[in-house]
Amino acid sequence: MVTPDSKSRRLVFWVLVLFIALAVFPWLGIPVYFVSLLFTVFLYVILATSWNIIGGFAGYLSFGHVAFFGIGAYTTAMMINGFDLSPLLTIVSSIPAGVVSALIAVIVGYPCLKLRGPYFAVITLCFAFVVDLGVKNLDILGGPEGLWLKSMDLPIDIIRAIFFEVMMLIMIFSIALGIWTSNSKFGAGLRAIKEDEEVAQTIAINAPKLKIEAFALSAFFPGMAGGVYAYYLTYIHTDIVFDMMISILIVLMALFGGGGTWLGPVIGAVVLTLINEGLSTFVRAEFARIVYGCLFIGVIIFMPNGIIEFFKRAKGVPPG
Amino acid sequence: MLKGTNITKCFGGLTALSEVNFEVSQGEIVGLIGPNGSGKTTLFNVISGLHKNDSGEITFEGQRITGLPPHKIARLGIGRTFQIVRPLMDLDLIQNVAIAVLYGREEINTPRLARDRAEEILNFTGLASKADHLPGELALEDRKRLEVARALACRPEIILLDEVFSGLNRKEIEGAIHLTFRIRDEYGVTVFMIEHVMKAIMGTCSRVMALHNGVKIADGDPEDVANNPEVIKAYLGAAYAER
Repeated sequence: MVTPDSKSRRLVFWVLVLFIALAVFPWLGIPVYFVSLLFTVFLYVILATSWNIIGGFAGYLSFGHVAFFGIGAYTTAMMINGFDLSPLLTIVSSIPAGVVSALIAVIVGYPCLKLRGPYFAVITLCFAFVVDLGVKNLDILGGPEGLWLKSMDLPIDIIRAIFFEVMMLIMIFSIALGIWTSNSKFGAGLRAIKEDEEVAQTIAINAPKLKIEAFALSAFFPGMAGGVYAYYLTYIHTDIVFDMMISILIVLMALFGGGGTWLGPVIGAVVLTLINEGLSTFVRAEFARIVYGCLFIGVIIFMPNGIIEFFKRAKGVPPG
Repeated sequence: MLKGTNITKCFGGLTALSEVNFEVSQGEIVGLIGPNGSGKTTLFNVISGLHKNDSGEITFEGQRITGLPPHKIARLGIGRTFQIVRPLMDLDLIQNVAIAVLYGREEINTPRLARDRAEEILNFTGLASKADHLPGELALEDRKRLEVARALACRPEIILLDEVFSGLNRKEIEGAIHLTFRIRDEYGVTVFMIEHVMKAIMGTCSRVMALHNGVKIADGDPEDVANNPEVIKAYLGAAYAER
């Protein structure tokens, strides 16, 4: 007989196997393309999962989340160039990148989170543009030229593998944050805010504080990921790390999978990144965009609560 | 326990509340009546902090609460329901109530324990059998009960009930009257309620206040207030008051 306990133990076992398999992946001599593809998948899982905290759980659709990714990238780049950091210290150096992103989220969130619905979406979009333009015009940050990071004195394979492992670690933490949120008092409060903020306040939920915490958390991991990404690219430019397309992709992925659940953004990010990369590589990039657009329209019409909810309902499991 | 002094609230040029004084003591069930647009719900919104009053002061158990954000007021022990029910639509009943338990005054911080507590409260309000339903599947009577359950889940000292009886049929009103007494007697919660249904007022309230155009026109024994010429005039016009 399969008891829920043995079932969940088996699940944990397979998840462990999966993560170990992923962890050894870059050391197996598999073509670089696949390693970097997986690296990109990790990156988007982090971004979508983090976005989900404010966008999915609290219902505040941030359309400027790429800004936090870019801020993290620039923070790390400045640190590397300023302090001569070795890539072996990636884990350490990406933490300040996350902290800077989170701090900026607190500052920006304080006024912006007073706006709701489309107004919040628009102002976060503007925030990303402002940061992009600001960085482009600051010579200390490389301005329009971008920033070269100091080269590293290790074999490229090793460096790539380190970045891969660190990105995976950040991903695991961001997923853990998602799982924790969906089962905690914190997440319950965010859900109430999403449903009806005034009602939430009348049941003693400190909505302004909770929203800022959620926004800061949702900026932290993208900041860290940006830090690793800057290392990985060795050259960063505002057009790359503040690309508005990334902002939109994050939202798409989270909503495609199912916002407000921890698993939704993970699935959304994996599926959409693979489709995007697959089509761009093996067919053409333009074609990928078309497929993407159609997919999104389809999801909005037929599965407004994301694919997870759709399949649950198809199997007869009640929502929630 | 809850006291308001000279509460005034204007919306642009409209004075919704004008120099209103009120007091509710521990253990009372106080009714608030008045024709539509007389400022009843505005008064509740001011008390619960959703609206800021322009002048006047509200104290709760001796502490000034005017200007505090709504969540702090709730935290101090003032719960409320909404006239037009506002359940958290995508969450089932037990979640609706459990969230209020988690953030309420009982200091229950684990979701699992909060669910147990929420079940008890749903049971108290007669919704136990529908705990895993979504609010959208409920009839109006049960939605009103859910409003009450959610407000009670915060463990308030006083609960502001905004037209919990309106739209209910005779039998449902009996049930709601019974529930109102049980809120006070079993939970020890003082009740301040807006109501139009006279039967409910007469059946439950120990005292009634009447508002008309934002001004308090009567306060006292339900029987006296109902027969007060000012009140009859406000509801039915001057001709009826003279009879």
